[in-house]
Amino acid sequence: MFMREQRFSYLLIFPAVALISIFTIYPLLYAVRTSLYDIVLSMPFMKPYVGVGNYQAVLGSYYFRGSLLNTLVYAGMSVCLVTLLGLGVSFLLNSPFRVSGVLRILILFPWAIPFVVSGVIWKWIFNSSYGVFNGLLYTLGIVDSYVSWLSHPFYAKLCLVTAHIWKEMPFASILFLAGLQAVPRELFDACRVDGGTSWSVFRYVIFPLLRPVLLVVVIYETMIGITTFDLVYVMTGGGPGDSTSLLSWYTYAETFKFLNLGKGAALSIILALLILAIIIGYIRVIRLEEVY
Amino acid sequence: MKRGSFVNFFLVHILSVIVLLFVLGPFIWIFLCSLQGEADLFVVPPNWVPKRVILDNYRYIFTGEIPTAYEVRGLIRSRISQEARYILPTLLNSFIIALAVMAINLALASPAAYAFSRFRFTGKTPLYIYVITSRLLPAMAIAIPFYFIVQSLNLLDTKLSLILIHSVYTIPFSTWFLTLYFGEIPRDVEFAALVDGCNPLQAFFYVLLPMAIPGLSAAAAFAFVFSYSEFLFSLLITQTLKSRTMSVLIASLANNPDVSYALLSVCVVLAIVPLLLIGFFFRNYVTKGMTITIFK
Repeated sequence: MFMREQRFSYLLIFPAVALISIFTIYPLLYAVRTSLYDIVLSMPFMKPYVGVGNYQAVLGSYYFRGSLLNTLVYAGMSVCLVTLLGLGVSFLLNSPFRVSGVLRILILFPWAIPFVVSGVIWKWIFNSSYGVFNGLLYTLGIVDSYVSWLSHPFYAKLCLVTAHIWKEMPFASILFLAGLQAVPRELFDACRVDGGTSWSVFRYVIFPLLRPVLLVVVIYETMIGITTFDLVYVMTGGGPGDSTSLLSWYTYAETFKFLNLGKGAALSIILALLILAIIIGYIRVIRLEEVY
Repeated sequence: MKRGSFVNFFLVHILSVIVLLFVLGPFIWIFLCSLQGEADLFVVPPNWVPKRVILDNYRYIFTGEIPTAYEVRGLIRSRISQEARYILPTLLNSFIIALAVMAINLALASPAAYAFSRFRFTGKTPLYIYVITSRLLPAMAIAIPFYFIVQSLNLLDTKLSLILIHSVYTIPFSTWFLTLYFGEIPRDVEFAALVDGCNPLQAFFYVLLPMAIPGLSAAAAFAFVFSYSEFLFSLLITQTLKSRTMSVLIASLANNPDVSYALLSVCVVLAIVPLLLIGFFFRNYVTKGMTITIFK
């Protein structure tokens, strides 16, 4: 019986695992191999083996350090804001008033929007000459003249983060809502009866129960944040200067603009390792067994 | 009513309005822009309420008839982005690809989830972890090799190559999601079916799947939305209208310094409409599916 069950299971799993393997393991090995050669498409006949040379060149380069820093700042800001705002909004979604029902439906809209479209919308909103954000600030008298937000190194980052939050916060809030709904009503009441304040209800009742979902949100958002590419491509193209050149953008530019495949592959491996390291770190901090 | 709940009432409503403004404001603005002539968009400060609502931009996209508003004005003679008219064929491509990805997800992820949630077999945990973590691989890491693989298979500029890679990126999530979802469905009915002479495959098709429709719908919606939104692989692989997707076209319009913003807004609105329908249709399943699967 067990043997038959086993064979049957393998049959059920095989198609999915096979498809995933073909398109992850093989490309990954291919990328590792590419990263060990100095392949530049503008010089197609010279592909010397350089070992870890590409990694050394990339890690030591000025642009890498800049884009790593940009990525960490960007991911840090977006993960924190998405998580905190998502948590806050989830309480609104869970409120007993009728407005929460409306909010629950409407808030899903940005989540379904592609990053590219979100980028286009916000690029137009932050437009330097006719953008509505400038118009708003101008009408309210906060600025005297229009500011070109996307051509300022720091503001451009904030614009990207805004578009990012707009798209990602709803998803986080829905996840947190699911977590909140799983908290039994009696627990609140019991804590209240025992004289707990709102803060202690949150700290000792809600928060511990939300930790699994917090782990999911933070891991997912970190992954999205670190690999952000679409928004940069649409909104800033890495500029002004290199101020919004994130790691994935730098990898893309190195590979498909400068046609330096070896270095591009090395960068993509570094990106993958970085994500792996961060996720392992999270799981250490918020222990995995709590998820199950 | 206690004073505390009164304060609560106002606080919740004020905050809800702020959140709604942030969430919906950009949609409303882009929708208003799509209804105006280009010249009406280029004013400082902007018209908060459109001066003149026209449907010319939409007519241009659908029929190619040049909007009358573009003939006036000397210096800021309005711009026409012919590229914007490609939005319809690219939307169709995106839609076909996303539907195929959805179907592949259901066909491959639900059997895998069935095995993971119901049977014991050697190597179950490592395989499960392998499937789930494969999603953590950043797209950029396999984009370069994938491009060359597709090139050597002569699959550049085909919908098939995009369908494959989008499936690879959505199946891990679908499998995880459905495994948890199936795990929450009581097994009694399946046992009854088995006792009555069904084989496990029949029990899966005739008993489990019908009971899991909300979960399957949510997984399908996720797969659809991912594929419809995907940009990097689409950018690398598509070249002509044969396979070009909506996201690539919109990015290309956005990076054109001479783009007509009115027409771009129309493209954005048209790209959003199918998603709003899907989102609205699946809204209960998405939230419910989440609640059931992640929290027991």
